[in-house]
Amino acid sequence: MGAAVSGQTVWGQLEERFGRRQFLLKTGWAFFYLFLGGWLLSNLRYLFPNVLYEPTLSFKAGHPDEFPLGISEKWKKAQRVWVVRTAGGFYCFWARCTHLGCTPNWFEAEGRFKCPCHGSNFNKDGDVIAGPAPKPLWRCSVQLANDGQLVIDKARLENRPKLREQGDFFLPYQA
Amino acid sequence: MADKDASPAVLQWFKKSKLWKSIFRHDFSDTPRTRLQRVFGNVFLHLHPVRTPKDALKVTYTWGMGGLSFYVFLLLVVTGILLMFYYRPTTIHAFQDMKDLAYAVTLGGFLRNMHRWAAHLMVVVVILHMVRVFLTGAYKPPREYNWAVGVILLVLTLFLSYTGYLLPWDQLALWAVTVGAQMAANTPVIGNEGPFRLPFVTTSNDARFGLIGGTMVGDSTLIRFYVLHCVAVPFLFCVFLCVHLWRVRKDGFSKQTGEKVDVWPHLVSREFLAALLVTIILFVWSMALPAPLEGIANLNVTPNPSKAPWYFLGLQELLVYFDPWIAGVALPGLIVAGLMAIPYVDTNPKGIGVYPAMGWKRIGPLRLWHPTERPFAVTVFMLGVVLWFALIFIGYYCRGPNWEWYMPGELWSHRRVTKLTLKNLPNFWGALLMLCYFLEGTPMPKAIKARLAAARGPNAPARISAAFHMGLGVVMAIALLLPLTTAPDAEYPLRSRYTTLFEALGHAPNAPFMSWLYRTVEALGPALGTGLVVACILALGGALGFLGLKFATFKDRMYDELGPVKYSLVMGLFLMMMGVLGKLALRLLFGMKYLITFPALSFNI
Repeated sequence: MGAAVSGQTVWGQLEERFGRRQFLLKTGWAFFYLFLGGWLLSNLRYLFPNVLYEPTLSFKAGHPDEFPLGISEKWKKAQRVWVVRTAGGFYCFWARCTHLGCTPNWFEAEGRFKCPCHGSNFNKDGDVIAGPAPKPLWRCSVQLANDGQLVIDKARLENRPKLREQGDFFLPYQA
Repeated sequence: MADKDASPAVLQWFKKSKLWKSIFRHDFSDTPRTRLQRVFGNVFLHLHPVRTPKDALKVTYTWGMGGLSFYVFLLLVVTGILLMFYYRPTTIHAFQDMKDLAYAVTLGGFLRNMHRWAAHLMVVVVILHMVRVFLTGAYKPPREYNWAVGVILLVLTLFLSYTGYLLPWDQLALWAVTVGAQMAANTPVIGNEGPFRLPFVTTSNDARFGLIGGTMVGDSTLIRFYVLHCVAVPFLFCVFLCVHLWRVRKDGFSKQTGEKVDVWPHLVSREFLAALLVTIILFVWSMALPAPLEGIANLNVTPNPSKAPWYFLGLQELLVYFDPWIAGVALPGLIVAGLMAIPYVDTNPKGIGVYPAMGWKRIGPLRLWHPTERPFAVTVFMLGVVLWFALIFIGYYCRGPNWEWYMPGELWSHRRVTKLTLKNLPNFWGALLMLCYFLEGTPMPKAIKARLAAARGPNAPARISAAFHMGLGVVMAIALLLPLTTAPDAEYPLRSRYTTLFEALGHAPNAPFMSWLYRTVEALGPALGTGLVVACILALGGALGFLGLKFATFKDRMYDELGPVKYSLVMGLFLMMMGVLGKLALRLLFGMKYLITFPALSFNI
């Protein structure tokens, strides 16, 4: 009995709120707002283009023997990368600060990359040693093409220790 | 009685013609009736009331800043429209068109200069307008809503400047927008590099992608910013401007002590004079000083140092001290929200229509010039403004190549050797430090005081409050200095097993306090050295605790007046503002980078 009464009051409340009298009107308004909201959201989606006309991020950097040991700035102005040759092989930094995207400069004497925008400093391994940057510099994938040239791909990036020193991100090479 | 019309006969005949009368519905003799008709019979003047309180005319009250913001905006619209005739928003044309405007188009350079300098002036005038409105309490009821609309207009003013300076497609443009867009990429949840990023968010669908229309700043960005700058944002600006001006009319002028006077000619003539003066200033300024234009945008090379325009330098400097999601997204958002919240949390009804009275107060050896009415509100707001301009000052005068610290006037050297190192505080200690800092804002409500006094005697509340604040101060000092002197250098585990943060920072010239401590401890030997570290902890802790204790009674009173919600809002915002100052000190004196860091989540504080 008690359950029935309370059930009825709940039903009564529901009836009052969503009952016949206002049902069509409220449904109408609900769909109106749904439509309006959906339309606004679809316009937001409109702002995200589906086709981009941007340059390719992969390029051929020449033959390995053209690079002396150390950090080469040869491709920095054209492709925004530093090609690094060590005794064991090659890796490549994307010259883009991991803080807010400016191009750092390489200071050979100090062994530091320094960013001109907010003062982040990176060491030879790309690790942050000062300034606000939260992550190490990104390394790009380096591979050897069939014609013997280095192929650098800035679309494939890695900056985690260990992972960045193997696989596509380090090219073993002996002169 | 109107004087006999002395104008030429032809004009007199024309004024009687149907054509003239179809345009002007009233004559222009100076009678009380025509004074009113001039205002409400003219669509451009009818934004004004026909009569206004005499106080509104006083230049030293308003400084004409609201009206001048509007006038400078109009000037920007006119010069902007003219510039659009010669400007094409594509990467191959934009910079060339700028050069043409500067050197090949008749008066093109002048218009561009004027547009640029007027934009700078508008930022100044809008900020001064806000400061004036704050100081005279003109945001208090019934004008709370209009203050919030005004804050939106300030944000839109800055956004107009931001979207405008990509358009020249020079180096300043490119790098300012690169940095700004990268801040969008650091937005929590919807940014590719922000904390708590959703799993499907990548560089090609995050907030930055939506803002610049691609993965790199280029043609799609230029057209996007062009539309935002020339159409979308001015449209929004006008909508909010309508509301703002309409509410100024509806809410009435903030100071109404005397009689009312006719707006024509009293207010209109003053507005005309002010506009004329600003026009002359801008004319001279634009003829004397060409607007800066750097080299053509180069996506691969960043100028060194790369500085934003002055009004964003504060933000740029802030970005040095915090993770980008905090300095670029959270703090600006909080500043805007905090500004908008001011009229809703400031329940003090005093101080509407007058500048705060100032007086001298003695605190120990210091004589302090401080506001005697609304002391907290005025001090905190002005402190915020001064802090912001201090950051701008640092960015403008104290930053050189590689964004390193140089004293104003010191010669810059691109080859200066950097010995800068920064370290994170271990998460536990950093979190403890932050927790204790925010706990300093805890009040002791009246009810609890009464209960404590009843249970433990009349002195108990004061004693407990002292112990609480001093305890927090000492814990903060321990959380700061203990890990710095003992914690191993977690970031360089391979360098040496025994390297501590203390040793790492003790050699760093950018951590002057730590290097001083290191050298002194080395000179004193282990026993005395440990004693010195303990003394430093006690001194620092005591100072921090004493500061908290100084404000204890004030906090309690504020809590009882505002209630829990408003109190936590005010205290939270206040502590965050002072926290920015604290983080600056930690960075500059202790060489501290982050307090809490979770690299996997891109979450750093």
